[in-house]
Amino acid sequence: MSLVFLPEDMNWSCEPCGVPLEPGKVELAYLGQVFHVELPVCPKCGAAFVYEELAQGRIFEVEQLLEDK
Amino acid sequence: MDQKELRDWEAKCIQEEPPACRAGCPLSVDARAFALAMAKGDMDAARTILEKSMPLAAITARLCEAPCEQFCIRKDLGGAINLGLLERLCIRETQPKGKILRLPARPKKVAVLGSGPSSLAVAFDLAKKGYPVSVYHLEPAPGAWLRALPDAVLPAEILDEELRRLTALHVTFTAVPALDAALIAAHPADAVYVGQDDTIAPDLLAGLGSPDTLTFALDRPGWFTGGMGLTDHPYRFITAMSHGREAAVSMDRFLQGASLTSSRVALRHGSTALFTQTRDIAPLARVTPADAAGYTRPVALEEAGRCIDCQCLECVRHCVYLKENGGYPKSYARRVFNNSAIVQGARQANKFINSCSLCGQCETLCPNDFSMADMCLDARQQMVREKRMPPSAHWFALEEMRAAGSDQAALARHASGMVASAALFFPGCQLSGIRPAQTLRLYDRLLELDPQTGIWLDCCAAPAHWSGRAEEFAELAKKLETTWTDMGGPKVVTACSTCLKMFREHLPQLGAVSVWTVLAEEPVPAAAAHPALALSDPCTSRHDERTRKDVRTLLENMGQALAALPMSGELTECCGFGGLMDNANPALARKVAAARVAQSDADFLTYCAMCRDQLAKTGKPVLHILDLLFPEIAHPASEPPASISLRRVNRRMLKTAVLERYGQDGMPRQPWEDVRLQISESVAAVLEERRILEDDLRQVIFSCKENGRCFVHGDDGRRIASAELGEVTFWVEYREERDVFTVLKAWSHRMRIAGGRI
Repeated sequence: MSLVFLPEDMNWSCEPCGVPLEPGKVELAYLGQVFHVELPVCPKCGAAFVYEELAQGRIFEVEQLLEDK
Repeated sequence: MDQKELRDWEAKCIQEEPPACRAGCPLSVDARAFALAMAKGDMDAARTILEKSMPLAAITARLCEAPCEQFCIRKDLGGAINLGLLERLCIRETQPKGKILRLPARPKKVAVLGSGPSSLAVAFDLAKKGYPVSVYHLEPAPGAWLRALPDAVLPAEILDEELRRLTALHVTFTAVPALDAALIAAHPADAVYVGQDDTIAPDLLAGLGSPDTLTFALDRPGWFTGGMGLTDHPYRFITAMSHGREAAVSMDRFLQGASLTSSRVALRHGSTALFTQTRDIAPLARVTPADAAGYTRPVALEEAGRCIDCQCLECVRHCVYLKENGGYPKSYARRVFNNSAIVQGARQANKFINSCSLCGQCETLCPNDFSMADMCLDARQQMVREKRMPPSAHWFALEEMRAAGSDQAALARHASGMVASAALFFPGCQLSGIRPAQTLRLYDRLLELDPQTGIWLDCCAAPAHWSGRAEEFAELAKKLETTWTDMGGPKVVTACSTCLKMFREHLPQLGAVSVWTVLAEEPVPAAAAHPALALSDPCTSRHDERTRKDVRTLLENMGQALAALPMSGELTECCGFGGLMDNANPALARKVAAARVAQSDADFLTYCAMCRDQLAKTGKPVLHILDLLFPEIAHPASEPPASISLRRVNRRMLKTAVLERYGQDGMPRQPWEDVRLQISESVAAVLEERRILEDDLRQVIFSCKENGRCFVHGDDGRRIASAELGEVTFWVEYREERDVFTVLKAWSHRMRIAGGRI
């Protein structure tokens, strides 16, 4: 299972760092479960980008699964 | 829910009780399923149903006198279904289902004296269980009085064929000159059955005695008898078969050393707890066969089609939620139990439990008062106690409740210039959020009637109760009680049926009454100007006959005509919001509202603000009673519902408007409230569906402006900002132009981002 989640459009920069986002490792946590995934991240400050399709799609599904565990 | 509670719940639902026909069949044939299969023309399936319960179905179905017909619910609606003739046609038109299965051979032997129907039933049932059975019959051939029947009733070749099937089951037939006591000495067996529906020699009969009426056991251990006294019986054949069937059950138990009576279900003789509503069933005359040969296939289908398929399902028929989930309360009780008993894996019924509107219609309809509301609320409280309630299920409603009870929106004041209150007007947080101007107008009317009427803006905490959060609910109820005591303990007058129900059930000391009761006692200035309206009682008014009556009085005083709405009063239906259904299962809530408004072509009228907006979401014109009472500030029936964002803002504005009446400043504005948003209709619809408030977006953008952190698109300068607000992280994509933020997209998630690195 691929845990790399990148939007089609990666043309986003971090402000105020002023650098383009790059694929980077991010830790996501919900209800005591931790997931290591790859998301667009600011290489300077580490800010991560959870884009709309990911939030409404895969993340929502996993949240629901964990809530019913 | 524990095992005992599960059994108690299950026992309340009667849907699995047998239909009257089956309860009236001595062999417990599923006559309802048989008739339904016949009505579909599936005669093979119909035969399978007969063979499942009938010994030697080819004989039984031809001779059965159908005692079930005397219990048929159709009896008084055109005549009982002619199950006897349907059986005959089915058995004539179909072939046996192949070889009858026999359990592995058992060592103990059975002797059957006589070959009448009861004896053949004993032989059939015990042979199937693996016992070697010896049937002793009078010369020349087995069958007793069945042999004497005309071919039109029972052809000899059918009898012989069925006897051959018995032989294949290891039943042996031995011809003897007399069925007498000497036979026993010559042929010892572990269990003996004497079939008195054959000619038994007087010496044997004299020594038998009378059998037990339930088990057919004789005093002598291992001896059983049946078939007695049936010669002139109206159900001679089927009663004999029943004697044989019951004796066979006893003999099997005896041979296994088990109790003959323990856990044994007695014949029902037509008695069943299954309720079948016949109110809407039109009479339909019994179909008579063209000649003595019985039904032809098409005529049989027509007759079988008269079967009303007796079911209870009283609650399911009227409830979209119960219907959608494909079962009935008894099966749902098992689902709820399994959901809490599961140790590993996903809990399948969380959403199911959280989707019930707790409206109580099922309990009112149920002949046994089964309450899905009580069952689901108990289950929710257990989920909360065990810390396994899905956090997202009721999140938004709880946020709404907390906001409505916060300093931003809540307030309790005596009337301006007064130092005490005789009454305290509690409009309820949904009316305040949905109709703030009408709320104030209604307050003014109450002031006209009693200048010592104070005002109390807050939430009754129903969402905490509905979501199973017993502790939080108790705390909020305590807080409400303290406020009321601080106000001098006046009578509480509420405009919301839910608040009224919550107060009466949990804070009875408030002496809460409905505002509609207060108004019904006074002259009404407004005259109705609408064609007849369908009045939809809120589900929380189900057991509040007084308020429902007073609303009607009020409408009558205004001259407002009402259109018929079938499910009204104590049978009323939920709008889809009750019990937080709309939070846990919004798609279902839409279906519930759609089903409700489809019940009348007339425009709807209600006296609950939330019902008004939930029903209006379907596009149906719906009025609130305040639109009739105060026509000068009426909202059009076709007005779309207030958005979640507007409701939040309205509650704040209402508090400010009330404070201004006392010459006080409104609540201090939060700095983020000044963020100016521009939102298209399509984006607004997305926000509504995703339960994202404009306030949330203002806070996200404000914090981005404060800390300077966001993502910027390389081509066109679009920005994306995010912020964690409570349990949820909100994201907004926007453009900024001259201090106006045009929202392009917004989304959210509950998962926390613990930080990223390259």
